[in-house]
Amino acid sequence: MPRKLATRKKRTGRKQAAPARRVPPKKPDPFEALAAASEAALGLPVEAAWRAGVRSNLRLLFQHAARIDAFELLDEAEPAPVFRA
Amino acid sequence: MLETASDFTWKTAADVVAAIAAGRASAQSVIESALARIRARDGLLNSFTAVIEQRALAKAQAFDEALKGAAAVPPLAGVPFAAKNLFDITGLPTVAGSKINRDAPPARHDAKLIERLEAAGAILVGALNMGEYAYDFTGENVHDGPAHNPHDLKRMTGGSSSGSAAAVAGGLVPFALGSDTNGSIRVPASLCGIFGLKPTYGRLSRAGTFPFSASFDHVGPLARSTRDLALTYDAMRGYDPADPVCADRAAEPVTPLLERGTEGLRIAVAGGYFKCRTAESVYAVDRVAAALGANRDVDIPEAERARSAAHIITASEAGSLHLPRLRTRAKDFDPAVRDRLFAGAMLPGSLAIKAQKFRRWYRREVLKLFAEVDAIVAPATPCPAPLIGQQTFMLGEAEFPVRANLGLYTQPISFIGLPVVAVPVPLSPLPIGVQIIAAPWREDIALRIAYALETEGVTAAMRPKDF
Repeated sequence: MPRKLATRKKRTGRKQAAPARRVPPKKPDPFEALAAASEAALGLPVEAAWRAGVRSNLRLLFQHAARIDAFELLDEAEPAPVFRA
Repeated sequence: MLETASDFTWKTAADVVAAIAAGRASAQSVIESALARIRARDGLLNSFTAVIEQRALAKAQAFDEALKGAAAVPPLAGVPFAAKNLFDITGLPTVAGSKINRDAPPARHDAKLIERLEAAGAILVGALNMGEYAYDFTGENVHDGPAHNPHDLKRMTGGSSSGSAAAVAGGLVPFALGSDTNGSIRVPASLCGIFGLKPTYGRLSRAGTFPFSASFDHVGPLARSTRDLALTYDAMRGYDPADPVCADRAAEPVTPLLERGTEGLRIAVAGGYFKCRTAESVYAVDRVAAALGANRDVDIPEAERARSAAHIITASEAGSLHLPRLRTRAKDFDPAVRDRLFAGAMLPGSLAIKAQKFRRWYRREVLKLFAEVDAIVAPATPCPAPLIGQQTFMLGEAEFPVRANLGLYTQPISFIGLPVVAVPVPLSPLPIGVQIIAAPWREDIALRIAYALETEGVTAAMRPKDF
């Protein structure tokens, strides 16, 4: 029967480190996810070095879009895709 | 006695026509003089990307021959002009400020507006620098280099019709063609101190031009006088079935109406969102408003939201337009343009449709204002020309990125296709522009007001030192 090995705490002579704080899990960046999904779905060859610029522009567009989204329009509102002044 | 080449440097199109009509100049001498100026000075301005010397000289000689014994002189007889390089020019690829389109086959026909201008006697001398694919307010271009502002060569021309403004403000040609989607005629006209006309959406044919954002794309002239805007506009007007949004309207010439003055016109100043925050823009708007007796403000409702919607639709339409090139030639774009196009291509359609719905609402509300006023005065740009390469500017206490915000005051107007004349207020050391905005199809009103301001000396295209 194997002998049970006694375990002993190593003495290091150093103070014990404080228990690590729990780091909350990183909130996923929705623009990173949208950009990544769009890259794949649309077949866009976005290089790694360009991703921060694309995300920042996407974020800016969504800020503009939020202003429009907050504006109430009737369901019957017609879009103006072929616009005549 | 024939006029000498240097006499034409600061001549307007109307002056050139008068000189030819009086026999003081030939089309050939005028064109040779323009070509010599371009050779001598465009090294400083970087406004031209192609000069079509042989074609221009051949047209001038043919014009002079045809004029012998003719009963009348055409309205733009022998006037040299140039076009932003998104206009088709027979035999040249339509580069639209890009590297990618240099590989496109040469255009087989001129753009419709070039055809119409040449039919009225004007003579095309070349193609002009611009921001890549017109997605630009600065006049900077990584492929061709920036166009330089003739009032200070270290400064931006504004964009995207950068070369058009630089060539006109620098005296290389009396007028040029530009395009304006969100401000691309009015912004460079303001920064370079010249006049620019963005007509009503659907007024001038875009056939034979490279698009940017189809539901906002306009084309129009930049010039050093209101009369030249009117003369060239009248020569370009008219229905063209080749442009699906070009309106079929009766002839409404504006040149004969210029001298009617402003009496009886109800003119207001745009308040709220359009209240200026730099000393130069405050001075310019106040000076124009005072000269016109415009002492009431109107609030253009939801203008900030309109600008946001313009951003959304532009990004979405441009992203869709360039999708094939983004897939195959992404590395060949200007990085600043490429990142925005990628983001636009990724934008959900639901957001773009909501912006288009808002657009119809906004149009209806803004048009109500024109029941009470005939024209609205607003700043054209928030500040005079920034330095080339400058990233931000101050508006009041806040710092704003230059690239996205030079069109702060132009976007909410082109968003619903209203006609605008940008007029230059001569300030030292740098000019700045003011928008005269009218109801749809009332270019005549905006041009009459611009003409009155110019006649009174309130606005003027000042000749830059050394040009």
